[in-house]
Amino acid sequence: MTCHDAREQFSALVDDALTPSERAALDAHLATCADCRRELQRFRDTVALLHGVEPLRAPAGFVDHVLEAARPDPWYRRLLRGLFLPWPIKLPMEAAAIVLVGIGVALVYRATLDTRQFAGGLSGERPAAESPVTESLGRRAAAPAPARELSTRRDQPLTGEQDKPGEQSKLKDQAPGLAETYQAKEAPEPPKSPATIAPRSLDAAVEKKHEERGETQAAKQAAKTDAADATRAALERARTSGEAESLRSRPAPAAPRSQADAPPGARSAPPVAALRFAPPTVSGRLIVSDVDAALRGLAEVVTRLGAVENGRADASGGQIVELSVSRDAYPELTRELARLGRWQPSKEPAELPAQLRVVLQITRGSPRRRRRNFRRSLRSNSIAADIRKTGGTTS
Amino acid sequence: MEGLTGDDASLVDRLRRGDPRAFEDLVIAYQHRVFGVALRMLGNRAEAEELAQEVFLRVHRAIGEFRGEAKLSTWLYAIASRLCLNRLATGERRMARQGEETLTLLASREVGPAEKMERNELETALHRAIAELGEERRIVVVLRDLEGLSYEEIAAALELELGTVRSRLHRARMDLREKLERFLP
Repeated sequence: MTCHDAREQFSALVDDALTPSERAALDAHLATCADCRRELQRFRDTVALLHGVEPLRAPAGFVDHVLEAARPDPWYRRLLRGLFLPWPIKLPMEAAAIVLVGIGVALVYRATLDTRQFAGGLSGERPAAESPVTESLGRRAAAPAPARELSTRRDQPLTGEQDKPGEQSKLKDQAPGLAETYQAKEAPEPPKSPATIAPRSLDAAVEKKHEERGETQAAKQAAKTDAADATRAALERARTSGEAESLRSRPAPAAPRSQADAPPGARSAPPVAALRFAPPTVSGRLIVSDVDAALRGLAEVVTRLGAVENGRADASGGQIVELSVSRDAYPELTRELARLGRWQPSKEPAELPAQLRVVLQITRGSPRRRRRNFRRSLRSNSIAADIRKTGGTTS
Repeated sequence: MEGLTGDDASLVDRLRRGDPRAFEDLVIAYQHRVFGVALRMLGNRAEAEELAQEVFLRVHRAIGEFRGEAKLSTWLYAIASRLCLNRLATGERRMARQGEETLTLLASREVGPAEKMERNELETALHRAIAELGEERRIVVVLRDLEGLSYEEIAAALELELGTVRSRLHRARMDLREKLERFLP
């Protein structure tokens, strides 16, 4: 055994961990090697120093700290901890929850809409005026008179009646269910998405169209003048039927109320906003066998008569088209419309302004189905929605 | 060792039965040893206290997993050693290591001035020498020479071969002998 081998075993020797044969070999070497004996002694002394090290003591209060930390949380803490899952689990769950809530809201919204229409059709009750839609429209309206004008307009494409209140009641007598169903269309709907509520009026379309076609400012001015004419005419009607209006159960509270709510800037705004909601001069249905063919024919007629197509929108049963046409060309337009299909004007004033705005509902199919389509188109179509929202009170 | 084998058995039994006093008894019985290992290894009082607390909390949670094949103390040392080595290895140390200062303070004792000075010097040298060992050697020498575990217990606690324990212990002691040369008679 070398000195190196012997010293490698000092540790085990001190701990009495050598096998008897190892111990014998080491003892034999130590008996003959004074250096290794001295080295072993120093090694033993080192280990003795280590064994003499005072044990460390935990700080005071350590036991209490541990017991405090080990105490089970109260039930609400445990519950909370259970709720706060790690985000890789929580995030997909939350996303799924949002989607489900969205689907649920959509379903409830649709169900509510149908139920209200049905309920309105049964009871014929007029809904309260505080609908968000009406209110928002009221805010957009600049002055009380135009705001009322908007409400006069609501019935027109819906019931197909004249502006006189008497006629409306007559219609109700003849077909109460029908008239009430249409009134139910005025029911306040659940708040729609901002995109739907956003002002997408026909006049906005007019302006856009004009811009697109690069028409002059004069043309735009003409379009606005038409609207202004229409507004003035409607204002006249409102005045003449003021008494009838005062008797109504719901004298359009939305307009004055929302005026009070409206910010000062909106109140003092010029009546441009009102023009946007000006009613069409003439409106009616054009029942055709082929909607596309009718649209083509109409486009030709429009070009020939020097009229302008202001806007067009898809409706589930066909198309809604708005035209601007001069008073002189209007008789020719009606003749052409009659040629294209069955023209059923629902509103056609005896006295026409110089420039007319004509809204056509071009539809196809049986009258019964048309009516339903028209209603559905009102629901789905934003232009039609504007017409519906602005109406509600006949004067 | 304090020869708690019989007591350990009953303590483990009480812990498993959920005796509320059992855990307190366990902490009282082992707090200094667990804290000592943690402080020797980490060199920082606050960090050592935090780690020692974690050791007991783990025991509290996992007492059902203790099969009683090893001594309760060995199990505690095993948990403490692994937590220390893990912390040292992963660099998960929030507090700066102030080993020397801490260990110097530890060495203070209430004894006479001259004796105190002499003893302080030796204690400080011992603590510093231990603290300067590599972690793998340090844990072995702490468990063997300061805590009194057998080779087999150390092998079990650190999950090492017996030969590895023996070899590391020898190297550690040889290092210390070099460092403590001037204190040897």
